[in-house]
Amino acid sequence: MRAYVLKRLLLMIPTFFGISLVVFLVLNLAPGHPGGSQLASDLAASVKGAATDESHRIFREQFGLDRPVLLNTYLWLDREDVARALADMAGHEGATAADRIRAQQQIEDWGRWAVPHLVAEMNQSQEPLIRDVAVYTLRLASRRPLVDPFAPRPTPEQRAENQRRNAENEQVRSMRYALDAPEAEKERVIGEWNAWYAEAKPRFQPSGVDKLASFFLETRFARYWANLLRLDFGVSLVTREPVLETLIGKLRYSLSLSITSLLLGYLIALPIGIYSAVDKDSFADRSVTVFLFMLYSLPTFFVGTLLLFWFSEGSSVPWLRWFPIGGWQSPEAGELTSLAQMRDVTWHLVLPVLCMTYGSFAALSRYMRTGLLGVISSDYVRTARAKGLPERRVILSHAVRNGLLPVITLLAGLLPAILGGSVIVEVIFDVPGMGRWLIESIYQRDYNVIMATQLLSTLLVLFGILVSDLGYALVDPRIRYQ
Amino acid sequence: MSAAQELPLEALEAGAPDRLSYWALVRVQFGKNRPAVWGLWSVVGLFVLATAAPLIAMDKPFLWIGEEGLESPLLGALFNRLIFENGVDIFFNLLLVLSPLYLLAAVALRRAGRFGVRGAGALVAAHLALTTLVVPETWFGLENPLHHEAPVVDYRARQVELEKAGEPATALFPPRRIHYRETDPERSVQPPGGSLWLGTDVEGRDVFVRMLYGTRISLTIGVVAVGIYVWIGVVLGALAGYLGGWWDVIISRLIEVMICIPSFFLILTLVALVEDRSIFQVMVIIGVTSWTGVARLVRAEFLQQRELEYALAARALGLPRWRVIFRHILPNALGPVLVSATFGVASAILIESSLAFLGLGDPSVPSWGETLNVGRLEMKYWLIFAPGLAIFFVVSVFNLVGEGLRDALDPKLRT
Repeated sequence: MRAYVLKRLLLMIPTFFGISLVVFLVLNLAPGHPGGSQLASDLAASVKGAATDESHRIFREQFGLDRPVLLNTYLWLDREDVARALADMAGHEGATAADRIRAQQQIEDWGRWAVPHLVAEMNQSQEPLIRDVAVYTLRLASRRPLVDPFAPRPTPEQRAENQRRNAENEQVRSMRYALDAPEAEKERVIGEWNAWYAEAKPRFQPSGVDKLASFFLETRFARYWANLLRLDFGVSLVTREPVLETLIGKLRYSLSLSITSLLLGYLIALPIGIYSAVDKDSFADRSVTVFLFMLYSLPTFFVGTLLLFWFSEGSSVPWLRWFPIGGWQSPEAGELTSLAQMRDVTWHLVLPVLCMTYGSFAALSRYMRTGLLGVISSDYVRTARAKGLPERRVILSHAVRNGLLPVITLLAGLLPAILGGSVIVEVIFDVPGMGRWLIESIYQRDYNVIMATQLLSTLLVLFGILVSDLGYALVDPRIRYQ
Repeated sequence: MSAAQELPLEALEAGAPDRLSYWALVRVQFGKNRPAVWGLWSVVGLFVLATAAPLIAMDKPFLWIGEEGLESPLLGALFNRLIFENGVDIFFNLLLVLSPLYLLAAVALRRAGRFGVRGAGALVAAHLALTTLVVPETWFGLENPLHHEAPVVDYRARQVELEKAGEPATALFPPRRIHYRETDPERSVQPPGGSLWLGTDVEGRDVFVRMLYGTRISLTIGVVAVGIYVWIGVVLGALAGYLGGWWDVIISRLIEVMICIPSFFLILTLVALVEDRSIFQVMVIIGVTSWTGVARLVRAEFLQQRELEYALAARALGLPRWRVIFRHILPNALGPVLVSATFGVASAILIESSLAFLGLGDPSVPSWGETLNVGRLEMKYWLIFAPGLAIFFVVSVFNLVGEGLRDALDPKLRT
């Protein structure tokens, strides 16, 4: 058993990797910018001055947005690509201001992969303007990134290396000239660049191993995973707070909602399912079936709105104003004793839990009924009856156990549905949980939060599947996991 | 129970029990399930309602006898891009105008004994082709001659004017003289009463009319999204199940990965990331994220069927692989897919209205979920019950049909 659990846990790793890949690709290849409108205005501001330009670049670097998404294709950058970008920047062929910014950003992102081509353009281009632009962009492209710049406690070696790189970056930054500078001045700076390049050349001619490594590793995805392995989910692009801490705080709300409703669902659904299977085709069974069918087809957001409409403090019926209108606890909860606080939270939980439970409850009892019906006519149940066991024992200790199988499998399918449904319930009842945070982050394009929420919820689902498989073994002794 | 016992008497009397095909059996079985049959007729009714919406609510008269003689402004308005710009509306408007023709064609095909799945499929395909001809503004760069834009005339105002002038025009309006997008700030959040059958929303739009046209959106969402994912699921499932080997390994892993992602989260993210989303993008997104169920079903069926003798025979004949897959095995694997697709329509409709409820729909179409969201914010009963019950009705109707189909296809339940 232990070996089996271990094996399953190990198998989760590739699945989890695959999921992170899918979600990551979806997020990064979708149109639009992370940080939403904020970044767009950053970009617009970058036309104006170098200061915003710099902060914008740091933002991109900090979140790894300057790298290719999945595989580093900058390796195969050729001179024509670079020449085209330079021409765009120089304003050729009706390139607009937006084209210019994009071209500049592109060259910055290419970074060191573009440097040899830029040097070649600088020396060989026939057009003085292209040459000038090449010199201008060389400053940006040759900038060396710092080693782990956001490490909380850098080692002395790291610090020394970063100081060295900073000095070099400063030097490179100063190698520039104004567009209207005299030709001699320009020649001098170009000479400086050539001297610099002659010295730094080995850095720009990576070996095959280097290339292979950067093909896979110098990407956003690799960067994300490198951080993930350190349990670093990044910071929210909006609040700049660490995502993981906030998420764990929010998870408390969401999990208490979904676990309560799941338990409640099983608790109510199983007896009802058993009852209606035993009394098949009776009036009670038929009415329960119809009722469950209706529950099953009712949309969550409709039920949630109705519950608020009828039973909350905002209800139009005065004597039905039983429950608070939303939130997790009353504003004055801090002054209450812990027992009263518990009561207060429970009070707030009633409507959202009800709203989350009814759907799974309907599905579960239907499954329980079908599962039990499938078993009840089998030989071993007949044998149990023939032995003279009371009907109660026949059903409860012989039949139900096998009839439970489909219900347990359903757990794996219910979990994603419940987590997905939590968005709606949390929005309607104003619960500050994970689902509501997800949708807020989606509105703001807060990529790190979206990514972390998705990954965490998938992890929950993976564990749910494992639990349901183990539950299977618990109920059915024929299944032995090796 | 033997097969002979289950056959309906009529078929036996016709002297051809062996000619009753599998699907005919299913049909007979389905017919015994009264709620399911009722559900099926309701689906048909909903489609009719969606198609006939402009006859019930529209701000242009069917008939107008004025100075210029007899005209039918409604007919022109149906294809006027300044009045109906959405592809969904064009589809149904075209259907409304051409429905007599289609009915004739169906009757003719039936007379000829050829109105089966293929005949109906051909009609649907013809209509889809026509719609794709009408909808776009250009045909590969050339101006679309069917794309019609005409100045919008306010016939209601004109009639009032003419009445004042003492020579009223003879006009025959639909029962509700209003367009679903028409806003009226003076009539914001009015309760039902008088000519306002279901009241108005915050922008003063008529809720009844929006419910009516919302039927079009919901039905289209359901059918198109499911159509997309059934295709993806069938192709991937068939490849995995029939070819096995690496195909199976890769596709099965992909299915496993997709199943573990809470699909509603993924859909939310995708929908929100698309800027200026249209209802068609929503359909595609629901389609590309929900195919795993169908793929799993088809894969399991193919694993089973490919070992059967008829499949072996097809292979032994040297038929090309795709033919064995799609023409021989697939028809035998479609039963469970049909059931899952019917339930799928219900859940696609639910997903779309949830998205609209969260404010992530296409704001230019009248979605039920959007009205319900307004109802939640305003806490007005007509804004909650009308869309809520509409969604509930459509979803339960499709669920009823799905259950009927499932029971009809399950030989264990056959009585």
